[in-house]
Amino acid sequence: MTIDSLKRLILFVVLCLAQALVLNRIHLFDYATPLLYVYFVLLFPRNYPKWALLLWCFALGLVNDTFSNTPGVACASLTLLGAIQPYYMNVFLPRDAVENFVPSLSGFGFAKFLGYASSLVLFYCLIFFALEAFNFFNWEQWLLSSGASALLTLLFIVVFENFKRNKQADVAS
Amino acid sequence: MKNLLEFLAKYHHWLLFVLLEVASVVLLFQYNSYQGSVWFSSANAVVGKLYEWRSDVESFFSLKKVNEELSLRNFYLERQVHELATAYGDLTKDTTALERNGLKFLQQYQLVPAKVVSNSVNRKDNLMTINKGSKDGVKVDMGVVCGSGVVGVVYLVSDNYSVVIPALNSESSRISCAIRGRGYFGYLHWTGGDASRAYVEDIPRHAQFHRGDWVVTSGYSSIFPPGVMVGQIEKVFNSPDGLSYRLQVKLATDFANLRDVFVINDESVVEQTRLLHAAQDSLKATQQ
Repeated sequence: MTIDSLKRLILFVVLCLAQALVLNRIHLFDYATPLLYVYFVLLFPRNYPKWALLLWCFALGLVNDTFSNTPGVACASLTLLGAIQPYYMNVFLPRDAVENFVPSLSGFGFAKFLGYASSLVLFYCLIFFALEAFNFFNWEQWLLSSGASALLTLLFIVVFENFKRNKQADVAS
Repeated sequence: MKNLLEFLAKYHHWLLFVLLEVASVVLLFQYNSYQGSVWFSSANAVVGKLYEWRSDVESFFSLKKVNEELSLRNFYLERQVHELATAYGDLTKDTTALERNGLKFLQQYQLVPAKVVSNSVNRKDNLMTINKGSKDGVKVDMGVVCGSGVVGVVYLVSDNYSVVIPALNSESSRISCAIRGRGYFGYLHWTGGDASRAYVEDIPRHAQFHRGDWVVTSGYSSIFPPGVMVGQIEKVFNSPDGLSYRLQVKLATDFANLRDVFVINDESVVEQTRLLHAAQDSLKATQQ
């Protein structure tokens, strides 16, 4: 097992624990629940083996489903997200991006990173809440939950990324 | 053949994608059927343990409030028992009847005390995990109550944990209940949203009751003994088809703040269900 996979595994465990123990308990205004584990999917570098990415996503979904008693919901939506992430990231890549470019706030710049993260997170939330409710009858609530949760998740992600960038700057200086 | 292999080598990740999606969808549908996978739920031992630790930490901070509530409730009930015993004694000149009947009532039921280790109230179909399982005698379809009222029905059981369908599950929870002292019965149904309010459906049009009357379990379903608190009538509506009343009740149980519950192990239920199955079988036999 390489150092990279080990780091990824640690992030995996930390995100799952944070989600199960703390974040699943947050229901801001009855609608918004941060689904921070999506962050894990956003961080896969360019040219990462696609099969491995899919397996990671599926495993992440399975663990989170087990914690929240929603078998299949996060699994299905995270696997879908994992399938489109490599192609979607290419849209935002800077022209001079290196082969194993890692998506981050410092690498993309603020505007591009926000575009990349917000669209993927919103897409995930829409799929997740549609599968959870399993019908479009209550479409207002579906849109509200997805939008509010995506916003809250994005807030967490941007805070984390900012923190990471500042730390990098500290190390560099 | 060579082309096929090349095709697979090139697009193997899409194949994997389809495979994983199919697995997810199978999980999604399987869980909705009865007795689904206990492994991928919070009744699984690892997840249960983790949730138990969390609730231990949380309870440490809320113990004082819970204690206060319990002693208040205890005081209230003691007063009520005292009043009722005096009234009964005055009427019948039989002052020990309450003690004798109380013991008789309790003998029929065995209560398994359990703690809620994970719970949700914000979804449309909520589920709850408790820290007692088949090793403690919990079985599927047993009723779960708490100090203040009805909670739900056991759905999945593993060795040490169980998943309960609380009354706050719009899809699967239908608890048979009746208006206390008047006898008209209907079923409790939650439609999502506010966790402290639910509806009693199918109360007949000729029923007479008042706002503020208590709704209790009817005992017809044999999951709950009759007389467990459900809630208090707040508003009365007509049902959509106009054939019955629909009562909005304020639930007696505070689902958002639930910790100590009891699983009702009723020995007589086994006999009752066996009789019911026998009756159904014989009906089928005569029809054929």
